[in-house]
Amino acid sequence: MRLFWLEIYKTFSRWRTYIGFGFIALIVILTEVVMKLSAVEIMNRMMRSTQKDFLIFGNVLNGWFVTAFIMNTLHIHIPFLIALVAGDMVSGEATSGTVRFLLIRPPSRYKIIAAKYVTTLFYTTGLVIFLGIVCILPGLALFGSGDLIMHHFGKFGIVFIPEVEIPVRMLFAFMAAIWSMTAVASIAFLLSTLVENSIGPIIGTMAVVIVFLVIGNFPFDFFGTLKPYLFTTYMVFWQRFLDDPIPWQEIAKSAAILGLHSLGLFFIAFGAYARKDVKS
Amino acid sequence: MGLEVFWGHVMEESFRKEVVLRTNGLSKRFAKRSAVKDLNLEVHRGDVFGFLGPNGAGKSTTIRMILTLLRPTAGSVEIFGKDLRENRRSVLSRVCGIVEKPDFYLYLSAYKNLDILGSMTRRIRRNEIMEALDAVGLKSRAFEKVKTFSHGMKQRLGIAQALLTKPELIILDEPTSGLDPQGMKEVRELIKRLSVESQMTIFLSSHLLSEVELVATRMAVINHGELMVQGDVSELLGREATEYSIQASPLDAAIELIDSLPWAEVTSTENGKIELHLTPGHASELTRLLVTHGIDVFSFYPHRTLEDFFLRITEGTSEI
Repeated sequence: MRLFWLEIYKTFSRWRTYIGFGFIALIVILTEVVMKLSAVEIMNRMMRSTQKDFLIFGNVLNGWFVTAFIMNTLHIHIPFLIALVAGDMVSGEATSGTVRFLLIRPPSRYKIIAAKYVTTLFYTTGLVIFLGIVCILPGLALFGSGDLIMHHFGKFGIVFIPEVEIPVRMLFAFMAAIWSMTAVASIAFLLSTLVENSIGPIIGTMAVVIVFLVIGNFPFDFFGTLKPYLFTTYMVFWQRFLDDPIPWQEIAKSAAILGLHSLGLFFIAFGAYARKDVKS
Repeated sequence: MGLEVFWGHVMEESFRKEVVLRTNGLSKRFAKRSAVKDLNLEVHRGDVFGFLGPNGAGKSTTIRMILTLLRPTAGSVEIFGKDLRENRRSVLSRVCGIVEKPDFYLYLSAYKNLDILGSMTRRIRRNEIMEALDAVGLKSRAFEKVKTFSHGMKQRLGIAQALLTKPELIILDEPTSGLDPQGMKEVRELIKRLSVESQMTIFLSSHLLSEVELVATRMAVINHGELMVQGDVSELLGREATEYSIQASPLDAAIELIDSLPWAEVTSTENGKIELHLTPGHASELTRLLVTHGIDVFSFYPHRTLEDFFLRITEGTSEI
């Protein structure tokens, strides 16, 4: 436990850790202000395809809708912010040379690496929670509350979620987003244990995420067969909590695959680092 | 000699002979290159043990294996009589060190760095940190960020972190590297003080024979990863010193006297300095003779460069 708190102290004493929080606060609040100023235009675009078939009343462009919209937009960018810290977690000690002090102490490498991994997950969780807070609170303040009307996930149609259900569904969606980002953090963490500079793991993680997303979205049969094996396929399972009805079975499958993914990556990192010769 | 005094001597002798660190056939290969070969070192309690060798000889690789940063290809390390691999935690809680240059968390203060590093061994109290900083003259800079420190200050902070947990064995890799003469002197004095006052065993590597000579009680020489020699410093260096320089007046009288001695031979004279070869064990006798013959001696010193020392050992001209 002491090792974990020491890692937390070190991580949150660096300005780099706060880049992600700063970026999220800036981009989310800016988006919300712009959306507020362009509310009429957004509403017209949103309703263009539905107003022929549906008669929609009430506050459609509300804080919940804005939150879901921003989450949909940022789920590609958040991995980069996570990699910024997770990719530096172990390799940063090699770059700075402090690894030579760290690993000659009594705690085993297993304990040190476990403390660093838990710290990585702590940061990841904190970042996604922060995203949730920054999206929801100013969103509700600027746009008010209301029922959530969204496009149906993977289908042609719209979903209507009553206002009363939204807070719980959002809570689950953010928990799922944390779970997804854990897989990204685990990739960055593994790469961080293998090299002795921080840039490699950060770029490497983003390369993996982008390549997997591109492969997963190519409309060719060959890539279609690969899709179930790519973790990015399951990364957006948080969206399924805003579906109706909630597909619990699919959610459980996605969560399990992502969980196994993270665990597997952690154990590879664990094994690799325990045997690693420290030459830096 | 009374019985108590006799037993006191026996106990002191056995205390000093206790082996604190032993390497058994320690070897390390990096791909095709053998960095350390079958190294057998023995460090006794209370020693200031100089680990001497030129750059690239395998000193840092050995230290990294002793401190578990590298896995040996073959052989083992015993510290306090326990196998390091099997007793890592208990052994390393009594050991501390600096490997190569001391690098710290630059964005944290000296105090916080020591707090973090010390806390990995045991709970550290504030006064212990301040005492360690005081011992290396950094108490007044305790709460300044390490990024504002000079190399010399970081080196001293490195020693402070090594002292913090009051280890029984301190391993220092080239502790005076990169320091100015004043800084080197301070570090050397600190090492001596630690050895005498705190009864710590100190293992220090260096490529400077003069440095080892000034602080160490025992030493080992390594070259190309192999142990060349190991033993008491005075004994090893005493036996090795055969080339000397003398500045004396009148010069001609000094040359004549030296040449008349069967165990001394003038090899050259240059700029009022006599270079001579001396059979081991006659240095003090020569000084006495020069003075009793009315010759003023301004300087008299042996030529014991590391290079010469190595050359003799590797060429097999030494008795060692």
